[in-house]
Amino acid sequence: MKWKKQDIEQYVKAKEYIDTAIIPLVPFSMGSTDDELTSLTYQNEVMDLFVDRVEREYKGRIFRLPSYTYTKSSNLENEMERLNSFYEEICKQPFKYVFYLTFDSKWKKFEKGLGGHLLWVPVMKDGDLNSEETQKLLVDQMEQVTDLIQTYWVE
Amino acid sequence: MSEDKNKQVSRRQFLNYTLTGVGGFMAAGMLAPMVRFAIDPVLQPEAGGDFVSAEIAEEDITTEPQRVTFKVEQVDAWYESTVEKVAWVYKQEDGSIIALDPTCTHLGCIVGWDSNEDHPDHFYCPCHGGLYTKDGVNVPNTPPTAPLSVYEQKIENGILYLGKSIPREEA
Ligand code: FES
Repeated sequence: MKWKKQDIEQYVKAKEYIDTAIIPLVPFSMGSTDDELTSLTYQNEVMDLFVDRVEREYKGRIFRLPSYTYTKSSNLENEMERLNSFYEEICKQPFKYVFYLTFDSKWKKFEKGLGGHLLWVPVMKDGDLNSEETQKLLVDQMEQVTDLIQTYWVE
Repeated sequence: MSEDKNKQVSRRQFLNYTLTGVGGFMAAGMLAPMVRFAIDPVLQPEAGGDFVSAEIAEEDITTEPQRVTFKVEQVDAWYESTVEKVAWVYKQEDGSIIALDPTCTHLGCIVGWDSNEDHPDHFYCPCHGGLYTKDGVNVPNTPPTAPLSVYEQKIENGILYLGKSIPREEA
């Protein structure tokens, strides 16, 4: 499900089945070097493709929530607090599993303090999204992420 | 149950491990050649009215369901995009071809053929365990209440073309 009217209409009728929420954690910056800007936007695009695909294949169980955006230079300890307040908000609906998907390895250090599960995936700094190799790589990674999510469902 | 749980946890560790050790398979992914469609012009996608090439030759379709993908233009409000669709195609007993739409009729997850150990030779939905027999008919007492939809299809120059996905009535 997506954060869209059409999907919400379906969601409210079948909440008990859509028990998994996924939120991309996306760093944002305008003050970086030009190379870094390119890299951040590339990674943001990859993230969009990535979660779109996860959502498409698991539409009936995974809800893709709006991305959590933060400035690249900000202190993640503060972000963690804000993110946890998002988490509390999400828990107002009957979700059983909340996942944060990110390419930003800095979150790893704060994993323990987060409500919900952190899924960190490595990504290239730059690349060509139209190339078949990149697409294949993304599909592989996506399958691994959804396999991982499914290990939680079995419990 | 607890053994099952342990199995899942160690599987999770394993997956986490491979996921973060991306270097190796990134290289592997780079090398995987997509030779067939690169060299065979007959198999290039080509628009034919509302039908799109599924990039599979009729003679390559067997009685075992195969997964094919094809691209269609989709319009959401005023936003136009190209989306990839999936079909499972095979020859039925009588030799005719059927192309099933793997969108689960329960809540829309994508089902896979023979993808769950406990349910071989069925379409299985990973979301809530929906099951369909080979002909796409939903198995009673699993969440879906209707069979899988079927794509319109035709063969042209020996290549399979797919069209709209047509829902079927409850069995
Ligand atoms: S979406 Fe397939 S069983 Fe629920």
